[in-house]
Amino acid sequence: MSVATISQSRLPRWLNAVGPYVVAVVVSFAAAGVFIGLMGFNVLRAYETILFTSFRTPNGFIQTLLKFVPLTLQALAFTVPLAAGKFNIGGEGQLIVGGIAAAAVGIVFAGLPGILLLPLVLLASVVAGAIWAGIPGWLLYRFRISEILTTVLLNFVSFQLVNYVAVEIWPDPAAGHPTTVPIGMGGVLPLLIRRPPLHVGFFLAIVVAGLVYFYLTRTVTGYELVATGANPRAAHVYGIDVRKLSVLSLVIGGMLGGLSGGIEVAGLHHRLIEGFQSNYLTLGILTGLIAKGNSAAVPFVAFFLAVLEVGASALQRTMMIPGEMVIIVEALIVLFVLLSDVVRR
Amino acid sequence: MTTPLVRMQGIHKAFGDVIALQDVHFELMPGEIHGLLGGNGAGKTTLMNILYGLYAADAGDIFVRGQKVTIHSPRDALSHGIGMVHQHFLQVTPFTVAENILLGTLPKLGSTGHLGEATARIRELAHHFGLDVEPDARVEELPVGVRQRVEILKALYRGVKVLILDEPTTNLTPQEVDALFQSLRAMVDEGVSVVFITHKIREVMAVCDRVTVLRDGQNVFTVPKSEAKEEDLVRGMVGEQLDIAHSFLFAGRAANEDAHTFGDVMIDVRDLKVHADNETLAVRGCTFDVRAGEVFGIAGVAGNGQRELVEALMGIRPVAGGKVTLNGMEVKGGETTSLLAQGVAYIPEDRLEDGFLPLASVAHNLILGYHRQPPYARGWLLEWKVIFQEAWRLIKEYKIRTTGPDDLAANLSGGNIQRLMLARAFAHPMRILIAHNPTRGLDIPSTEFVYHKVMEQRNNGTAVLLVSEDLDELLLLSDRIGVLYRGEMVGILEREQFDKYRIGQMMAGTYKKQPTD
Repeated sequence: MSVATISQSRLPRWLNAVGPYVVAVVVSFAAAGVFIGLMGFNVLRAYETILFTSFRTPNGFIQTLLKFVPLTLQALAFTVPLAAGKFNIGGEGQLIVGGIAAAAVGIVFAGLPGILLLPLVLLASVVAGAIWAGIPGWLLYRFRISEILTTVLLNFVSFQLVNYVAVEIWPDPAAGHPTTVPIGMGGVLPLLIRRPPLHVGFFLAIVVAGLVYFYLTRTVTGYELVATGANPRAAHVYGIDVRKLSVLSLVIGGMLGGLSGGIEVAGLHHRLIEGFQSNYLTLGILTGLIAKGNSAAVPFVAFFLAVLEVGASALQRTMMIPGEMVIIVEALIVLFVLLSDVVRR
Repeated sequence: MTTPLVRMQGIHKAFGDVIALQDVHFELMPGEIHGLLGGNGAGKTTLMNILYGLYAADAGDIFVRGQKVTIHSPRDALSHGIGMVHQHFLQVTPFTVAENILLGTLPKLGSTGHLGEATARIRELAHHFGLDVEPDARVEELPVGVRQRVEILKALYRGVKVLILDEPTTNLTPQEVDALFQSLRAMVDEGVSVVFITHKIREVMAVCDRVTVLRDGQNVFTVPKSEAKEEDLVRGMVGEQLDIAHSFLFAGRAANEDAHTFGDVMIDVRDLKVHADNETLAVRGCTFDVRAGEVFGIAGVAGNGQRELVEALMGIRPVAGGKVTLNGMEVKGGETTSLLAQGVAYIPEDRLEDGFLPLASVAHNLILGYHRQPPYARGWLLEWKVIFQEAWRLIKEYKIRTTGPDDLAANLSGGNIQRLMLARAFAHPMRILIAHNPTRGLDIPSTEFVYHKVMEQRNNGTAVLLVSEDLDELLLLSDRIGVLYRGEMVGILEREQFDKYRIGQMMAGTYKKQPTD
């Protein structure tokens, strides 16, 4: 009987949750349409390009899935600490050091068979990301220095680090851009589809998102993390070590950020390339914000943003409309989703 | 017939879906003390906040001396001679009393030229009305009772003819309450009219000339004191739903509950010292014990170390000196989880700050602190099926108004949040109950519910430590009362020795310690 009541109370809540998103997306597109129209372009064709490029060709769809992977992981690297009330703005640095660690292991142990090398490569990226987020975590725990500041600053350190590794340690002289030599074949993620190529990172991201959801909703420490974020004082009063959990949340965020870098190296580039972080930090945070910090919603939002991103490059290619238009749409969506909360209050 | 000084007519006010006031009438005659009586949530404060211009009424008219007026802000209210003293004072604490009183009356920024003249006038007002305050004292150094006088003087200095006092006796010692009542009489003699908001019938009978009873945002009746019978006032406040004959609030403890034997010492506190947040000692050597089947009350004006004492006992705040033993286990700091698991139930003082997860579900809230132990958790996994079943049971038993365990806790109202706190504390078998202001902000039936729960636990052999700012509550429930003053236990009284005024002296620090035992 109670089960029936629960599911009954859930149905209107679903609508309640999805409604503002639909409104936000429609309004944002309308606003962007006004600009596109004022700039003298065909608005309907632009909409069509943004929304359907991903679904028109196999290549477009694979591109979307490939963007989905780092977007999801970067968003989770933001939302897991957020659940504990901490702001991880260092996903970019964690992605970079994850990529560096993956490349280092992949190059140094290039001769190892795949069954050993691939897990090592991914593990290295996770550990590196954990360490990179662990530093702000420790500074927070020991000296109460704001993690917002330290995570951002470590991003800049990582920019220099990737340069150093790609230029000084394992440079590929043939490349015209700071790039390392390729990793061993055993460290490359296997392909799901050969042509156009899609690596298994897609499944990996979905599995990781599932694990994060399970962790936050079903485990005792996941509960404590959520309680800490909901009210650190009350969590403390009821025996939860909130300072430790804040650090833990950052370290988990770092692990996810690091893994996103490892997958980019092992799955996509097979080497370390300076600049491989793209704008995934910004997109990841946008994803997390649109999902309102809800880790369960992250994969869906990430897929939607991946569609928009692929549409954006097509927009630039075929219609000569600046791809930044899509960033504006995304930012507007965030604004409207956050605004809908204020309005309802 | 004289014109009423203030007349409020047909006042409606809603906050969202909640109707706070419905067609309420109120009249204040010149030179009267008018009691506004009702339980929490009856709408008393809301009604007066409308008169003082803090809220706008959705409908209804206000007349001052027969003239219809619109009041948009406290400034408007003051210009009509209406002043209000709230439960929480807004004072600039590093400033002196005189500076606080003058704040907002100075003709232009930085002009303090007439401060000396004003100080003399404040001194004169204070003397005249028996509101003993030193104008040059700094507010942060004053106790709560004196700060309240500052607030009243602030209104009198502005020449108000209508003074609204919102639950003014909270946090006053019985002596201070008597002094306040005398001052109110002096004010009335000078032509000031007073609206006295309270939920205590005894205070209405002691000081008011007329009384208006509100319940659930509606008028019940208005009577002169000479015609008011205590029983009618009780009925008016609570309606028909309460069994008054078996009520703790109105009938007191049953006699057979006094004849009761106590068990072993369950809470043992020896020379306890605890730091406040600012590293000074808030508890400075407290010694007492609580036995099984006993309610030990701790009285004191808020801010005398109660919070720190309770938090040290629960392992939330480290013990800085002395020894605390709960149920045979020494507590030094950080043992909260195992204390809860061993049957030490806790109701924190500030439910919103200390006990509530607004951004989590009701179920999340109901298991906080118990989330690591069976049946809620098995190993490192949570048992949501069990948690939901328990949550539904508690929601029904404690009448928490919510759509279900997965409802966002932020949707709950204040009274419902307190019910949630109670449900969480009482859901598990307990041997010790530590409750800090467990009935603050509750309506009468809910308060009654808490009292029954507490006494039921006590009769079943639980050791209860009840810390409260409400002395009447302590006198009602306690078997012994210890009084905290500036972090020290200045005295412990047995139930036969209970004497409000003696406890009041202890609370004010003016009672000489007798060399007993």
